[in-house]
Amino acid sequence: MGSFKKKDMKAGVLAILICAIFICIAFSGCTQQQQQPGNPEIKNPTTYVRYDIGEPKTLDPAEAYDSASCDEVFNIYDQLVTYHGNDTKTIYPSLATNWTVGSDQETWTFHLRQGVKFSNGDSFNASDVKYSFDRVLTMNSPDSGVAWILSQCMNLNSTTILDPYTVQIKLKNTYGGFLALMAFSVASIVDKKIVETNGGVVANTDNEWMKEHSVGTGPYKLDHWTHNSEIVLKKNDLYWGGWSGNHVDTVVVKTADEASTRILALNSGDADFAYIPYENLVDIKNKTGVLIFNAPSYNVVLGLFNTESENTFMANKDVRKALSYVFNYQSAIDDAFNGYLFPLPGAIPKGMPYYETQNNGMSVYNHNLVKAAELLNASGYTQTTKFKGNFYRFNNTAIRIWYNSGNAERQKMALSFQQDLASIGINSVVSTESWPQYLNRLYNTVDWDYMFLGWMPDYNDPDDYVAPFVGSAANGGDTFHTGWANATVDQMINRAKFNVSTQIRSDSYATAFNIYINDPSLIYIGQESYTRGIRTWLQGYSYNPCIEYYYYNYYKAYK
Amino acid sequence: MKTWEYIVRRLLLLIPVLIGVTIITFTVSHVIPADPARAFAGGPKAQPETIARIRAELHLDKPLWEQYFYYLNDLIHLNLGKSFLENRPVTTALAQYFPATFELTIFAMIIAVPFGIIGGIISAIRQNKLSDHITRIIAIVGYSLPIFWLALMLQYVFAYQFPIFPLEGRLSAGMTSPTTFTGFYVLDSILSGNVATLLSSLHHLLLPAFTLGFATLAIILRMMRSSMLEVMGSDYIRTARAKGLSERTVIYKHALRNAMIPTITVTGLAFGGLLSGAVLTETIFNWPGMGRFAAHAVLGLDFNAVMGFTLVVAIIYVLANLIVDILYAVVDPRVKLGGG
Repeated sequence: MGSFKKKDMKAGVLAILICAIFICIAFSGCTQQQQQPGNPEIKNPTTYVRYDIGEPKTLDPAEAYDSASCDEVFNIYDQLVTYHGNDTKTIYPSLATNWTVGSDQETWTFHLRQGVKFSNGDSFNASDVKYSFDRVLTMNSPDSGVAWILSQCMNLNSTTILDPYTVQIKLKNTYGGFLALMAFSVASIVDKKIVETNGGVVANTDNEWMKEHSVGTGPYKLDHWTHNSEIVLKKNDLYWGGWSGNHVDTVVVKTADEASTRILALNSGDADFAYIPYENLVDIKNKTGVLIFNAPSYNVVLGLFNTESENTFMANKDVRKALSYVFNYQSAIDDAFNGYLFPLPGAIPKGMPYYETQNNGMSVYNHNLVKAAELLNASGYTQTTKFKGNFYRFNNTAIRIWYNSGNAERQKMALSFQQDLASIGINSVVSTESWPQYLNRLYNTVDWDYMFLGWMPDYNDPDDYVAPFVGSAANGGDTFHTGWANATVDQMINRAKFNVSTQIRSDSYATAFNIYINDPSLIYIGQESYTRGIRTWLQGYSYNPCIEYYYYNYYKAYK
Repeated sequence: MKTWEYIVRRLLLLIPVLIGVTIITFTVSHVIPADPARAFAGGPKAQPETIARIRAELHLDKPLWEQYFYYLNDLIHLNLGKSFLENRPVTTALAQYFPATFELTIFAMIIAVPFGIIGGIISAIRQNKLSDHITRIIAIVGYSLPIFWLALMLQYVFAYQFPIFPLEGRLSAGMTSPTTFTGFYVLDSILSGNVATLLSSLHHLLLPAFTLGFATLAIILRMMRSSMLEVMGSDYIRTARAKGLSERTVIYKHALRNAMIPTITVTGLAFGGLLSGAVLTETIFNWPGMGRFAAHAVLGLDFNAVMGFTLVVAIIYVLANLIVDILYAVVDPRVKLGGG
């Protein structure tokens, strides 16, 4: 009996010891990493490593439309024009050294850079430009539909070769944002010879070879792409910009779904750059060698009103104005986005041309429950229905608020909105569903009153925002199926679209704004901060909403 | 029934199993009210023509039963369709992801099986001694620990705080994969004589394989221990000892074979389970395998990918059970395949 107890005790001590080891391992995560004296040693000095979510769908510029694909296309291919650094106002030469526009505002003449080679040694000239644009229009990518960006103002007769280094583009209609869309990835120049050798151009059909291969004039070329793992680019030795100065040789973009993996990679130096969700930025704050970069992006956060809801009060503009006053914009900035959201006065985000036409950049609506109640009372929607001791408006009909599952920011905003609505006697129901179901609800039903959505830029022109947001469906707008329409706003949108005069465009957008802001179909919640974790040894990085990453400028050193 | 007849019969039974699986999965995935066509086409930026084309390609405008027969027709022609989320054929995606998961599973089993069996034997023959207590604690810890927690802790401790192992992935960042013969990086590295990728792939395998293997090791260990204890208490073992046979002969020649049968069942099912992809482990270690592929497909309602993955998993489980049944007959001569 005594020896049995001794053995039991040994086993007990051992069990406690093993548990203690595991607990120590568990709590080792809670200790602060010791501050290293001086700067940490730079890992992989000539390689830029980025950890991100989502991976490219294609490397074909005539098909690429998602941001992950466009990120790589911008570094493998060049366009006729481009942006530099964080400057979104100026369009710079790239494969075109200069250009002119005729008095008809439709005929653009581009003079091309000479001596440029593709990464396989083929020479670049005007035939590649015509081929590239015609290819986009003919292919009319069935997988992405990106061709609309060119086809809205170009057709197969538009591009003419004047000589080996001059092309002329005669638009089928004037387009105010033409130069901006020439800087977008869909206008990238491909090597005619290599494409013709590998599938050519087939109408309404994507080119399978071009999805995973590339030959461009850009600073980098594809080394390999392992799906759901990494895509690796190596420097293009034939790049016309040359390699003097500081540049990374290799680019590795890793797809890592798990935020903790990205955080550890950044903190350890395995990653130079990583996407970190807002709620996890605290995990990289004050870490040795890591800083948080943020700048206003063109990504906007919107609330959508369904003016065609069976709850007919949603069609009343004063109700929607009142709801715009109920929404707590500061709470969205502080609580939902942890401070990483900028105010948004209207459809045009800050940094984009003609932003100032929106009340000089000042938001018209603010969180004002008194004002909201006044508007509703004046409209006849008073708190008359008693329910469980409280008085409600709209006969206690609940406003149906939706957000897509997994989106923490939208969830927080939805619940905050619900609370504020209740405080002025409006009942609401907050629901969530997966992204495909969410889209189904928005586009194929009217079973919603209010939803959250976002928008990202295609190219740097307000037409890419104003027209889809507040244009009518008949005018090719109403992208969010709010059912809203205004003939004067349509007129102003078209006036701005089909004009290159800055004055005319400015006046048109200002007039449109004054109308749609007073009859809101959307709540302009905010403009997202582009927020990333960056190693302090990464130099040359600047954020441009039009070209998110330009690896050629990056190098690793301590300043 | 001869062994080969039994195998052929079981393989033929795979067909109605797969049909049943496809009917259930197809119906469940397609009755959810959702708009996958618009989601695939780019959400709010989707062009109407693109949405219409995808709808037509997926036959979403047809009745459900008709959609299913289109699917079956493609399946008969070994066409699993296109993964819209990955923008490539489902077969191409599976051909990449399956070897990644298979390789991870093999290494997880290399950790789990020998250590689980040896641990179970030691635990049984030294019942209530210190070594038994240690192995039992390991087993309890193994199947109690949430796998995601274990993965995160191993990653944090051994890849970050004490960076002995890589944080994630199958190879070092930027390293080109070895020439593809099988899709298994270790084997392909050996076949192509690429020492750098061989060492890198082995190095990258260790943490995720241990994560997956530890829970399986715990299950095998417990099963082996309990079945060994049961067998060791049998009359024939007592007789063997009474005949004067050495303890080694009693355990390894007489007891072990009988004790292996339940362990084989558990091991086979665990192998099948791991092969269908360990979502959490693959996500945390950024392992491009079946688990992550399936998770993305389900969340994105990528019908073709979901169906393709489900078919593969069904085949894996049927084959795993078949192999287990064959192993029964090998281990225990009393077992007749087919019952004949």
